[in-house]
Amino acid sequence: MPLEILILKTVGDRNLGDVTVKLTGSLDTATAPELERQLSPVLASQIKHLVFDLAQLKFISSAGLRVFSMARKQLKERGGQASFVNMQPQIQEVFEIMKSLPGVAIFKNMAELDAYLAARQRSHEENQ
Amino acid sequence: MTLELHATPEEVMRAVEALQEFGQVRQVPDKQLFGLALALEECASNIVNHAYQRDARQTFRVTLEHTGSAVVIELRDRGQEFDPTQAPVPEKEADGEDRPAGGWGIQLVRRYMDEIRYAREAGENVLRLTKRLG
Repeated sequence: MPLEILILKTVGDRNLGDVTVKLTGSLDTATAPELERQLSPVLASQIKHLVFDLAQLKFISSAGLRVFSMARKQLKERGGQASFVNMQPQIQEVFEIMKSLPGVAIFKNMAELDAYLAARQRSHEENQ
Repeated sequence: MTLELHATPEEVMRAVEALQEFGQVRQVPDKQLFGLALALEECASNIVNHAYQRDARQTFRVTLEHTGSAVVIELRDRGQEFDPTQAPVPEKEADGEDRPAGGWGIQLVRRYMDEIRYAREAGENVLRLTKRLG
């Protein structure tokens, strides 16, 4: 199963510069390098928030988690964050397992994400 | 069913797709099939990236078996002796983000499989992964 990568820049609200990455298919040992390649210029820009929309992601392995980890680390260094939304149950389970492992700090902050998205929604409504 | 595969990521995913078809035909529930696919991806990737250092001329074998009560995946390679069941569990750290991520795969395999057995047989690494059904 291939991976389709759609990178959308959010414009026109207060969070100018945010980027959403929609992934469709399988993020695995064969497709993770392509995601890493496409994310590289995005991460090199000064964006702070990167949202990975995983609604259509069917499969993930540690090769894919490694790319997420790398992105999250780079954003965190400049005070930003990576967020993961719309996970299918099997993907959610992989994240939960990673969270439970000692020594793995990457995916512990999904609660942050909810707070961030709620705040963003509010600011959007205020602008209406 | 036995597959002979070259040591490339694309071949790993060819094996994963064969497993998914194998499982669907035998009505293995999606949840179990996902775990099996993940375990196969991780273990076959280890062979490609570590045992064979991405030398695409090298080959390894994957055998899929449905016993009725379980699915068994066997992987055989001729790479350097390596027992993934002996891989250390990550130590607790305040911030593990700089930790090389190579060890995550085997942790996932441990969570999804019921049994992982390693043997060195006649110059081959033989890894058997078992997932009980039902």
